[in-house]
Amino acid sequence: MGRKILFVTTDQQRYDALGCNGGAVARTPVADALAADGVRYERAHPQNVVCMPSRATMLTGQHIRNHGVWMNGVPLPADAPTVAGLLHDSGYRTGLFGKAHFEPFLDPFLRFPENRMGVSGATQDEAGPHRGFERMEFAGHGAAGFVHYGSWLRDNHPEQMAGYFPVLDMALEVNPEGGGDTGAPQVKHNPVPRGIYHTDWVADRAISWLDSLDSAENWFCWLSFPDPHHPWNPPASELHRVPWRDLNLPAGYPTDPSERERLLDSKPAHWRRWYDGDLVSNYEAPARWVPATLTPEQVLEVNAMVHIQNELVDEALGRVLSAVSDRGWNNDLDVIYTTDHGEFQGDFGLLFKGPYHVDSLMRLPLIWRPAPSTTGQPAVVTTPVGLMDLAPTFCDIAGLEVPDWMDGIPLPRSEIDASNHGRAGVITEWDSLHPNGTEVHLQSIVADQMLCTRYEAGTCHDGTEGELYDLAEDPLQRVNLWDDPAAGPRKVELLEALEETIPDRPTHPLPAEAAV
Amino acid sequence: MAEFTNEIRIDAPADEVWAVVSAAERQAEWFPGMVSSTVEDGIRTIGTVAGGFFLEKILSVDHEQMRFDYTITGPLQFDHHLGSLHVESEGNASRVSYTQELRPEALTYALRAATGDALSALKDLLESGTYSRGFKAVPGEES
Repeated sequence: MGRKILFVTTDQQRYDALGCNGGAVARTPVADALAADGVRYERAHPQNVVCMPSRATMLTGQHIRNHGVWMNGVPLPADAPTVAGLLHDSGYRTGLFGKAHFEPFLDPFLRFPENRMGVSGATQDEAGPHRGFERMEFAGHGAAGFVHYGSWLRDNHPEQMAGYFPVLDMALEVNPEGGGDTGAPQVKHNPVPRGIYHTDWVADRAISWLDSLDSAENWFCWLSFPDPHHPWNPPASELHRVPWRDLNLPAGYPTDPSERERLLDSKPAHWRRWYDGDLVSNYEAPARWVPATLTPEQVLEVNAMVHIQNELVDEALGRVLSAVSDRGWNNDLDVIYTTDHGEFQGDFGLLFKGPYHVDSLMRLPLIWRPAPSTTGQPAVVTTPVGLMDLAPTFCDIAGLEVPDWMDGIPLPRSEIDASNHGRAGVITEWDSLHPNGTEVHLQSIVADQMLCTRYEAGTCHDGTEGELYDLAEDPLQRVNLWDDPAAGPRKVELLEALEETIPDRPTHPLPAEAAV
Repeated sequence: MAEFTNEIRIDAPADEVWAVVSAAERQAEWFPGMVSSTVEDGIRTIGTVAGGFFLEKILSVDHEQMRFDYTITGPLQFDHHLGSLHVESEGNASRVSYTQELRPEALTYALRAATGDALSALKDLLESGTYSRGFKAVPGEES
């Protein structure tokens, strides 16, 4: 009997969401226990800070420029090689439950298989397993969208549809409206019963599939929770868990407006311009919402909602792990837990995400609990790793050779293991072209406790801008050393490492086929 | 405001192409993802394969210039939308351009991709009588 793989992802979850990473609010005992028994990575970075590019990297093990999904709305090519395909071809049973988003959501004419599956209820593409998964059941960020959860809710609990916050408005822009107690954007008190909230639905569908498998079979299950991504509307029955009035403001939120603006002004211009409502550079935050209007009370309420959603995810994961254990699989089970990107959650006075390469969006939770049947000790790895390392790790677990088309390397199981990898650093890049003409390009490298970001010329930047942070001395990235002469030699080294590591851009970039 | 134009050359005379393009109730025959198009009192209702619909006000059908203009009026709420189909003669062939302007811009890329599909399907319909996605043309339209 080989090793089973449970791949757990959340969406838009910060590193500090988990207790094992220092989170002091949400109770996450299940993830914490996995970390205690396994390897906890303190510097896991995505290769892009929005969903579609990051998820394409997870599935392919490739840099953004090699799989080609350079922005949300760019579909992963239908013939892209995937780790799920490799595992399936080697005899693994493969399933994905929850959020996929390898293809655009905004698809009114159902041009993409994922959306056709979600509407029809099919669990495979018309041609069979899709992207290597023999069963897929999708959930998104609420009741809307072309996902199985939405169809299921409409068919079984139509009265609950309106309880969810509409993540898009009537022009299909990210909805700037808000609610809750403070009017915070994308917050709503949702009357949906906890048992049919999408987090528990995702766990239920995964458990149902796992129950259908023979005990001797090997399997790869991607358990992909859509939370704690906005909208922030967990079941109202759970709001008692984290009363927002009892919270402290997050350390990353500068309470003094003048200090907030000074920090933003020390960064490239698009930071302050977005804050002031002077720039819409990307689709992922409400275009008609001005961050400068965000109040401390709204920051607290958003954070409370996120903490609640994180607790529900942790409990749902616990249910799946119990089901797996009941089948007698635990000893051979590898669990990897991570997310696709982070969330500002009030840092710098901002919410959501965009072309902003700081820990809020780039430092991710990552835990690997290797199968107890394997040798190895619990460890903490501080050396940077990337989400492109996940697919090679799955290959390694399954005893498959890591194919040449993967850019990542199997995750280290210890700090010594990591130092043997000899990697110069981990790359994160951003390219965006908004339909309004705004164009932004930046690339970052994290290495040796430093984070260095260069900008290319676009509509907001002339290509001379940059950011350089000492992550050890400046954990909140408030002191931009880019123009500090004393940091010059270090900056040059990092830029050279970035240039050596990042692949060339594709000659013919894939077209965006939706906003998201 | 965002604007895009897709174009395609069709090996069919312009009057034949225009006869299809200008028939508002026929758009679902050549636009993948549309399942119905009905017209009443100058309003076209488009049914989509996803179960949704668009309401479109027909602004003008200019047979002389071979230009068809419409605007989406619901349920999506645009500050501005204009869709224009234009057929030009190129000898025994035709060039069809499909332009859309919209604000807010969220649907820009999705509409650009979908109208690209639609022009390919229009070409297939007029040149071979089939949809590019494999659906047969409606009875009586097969060539």
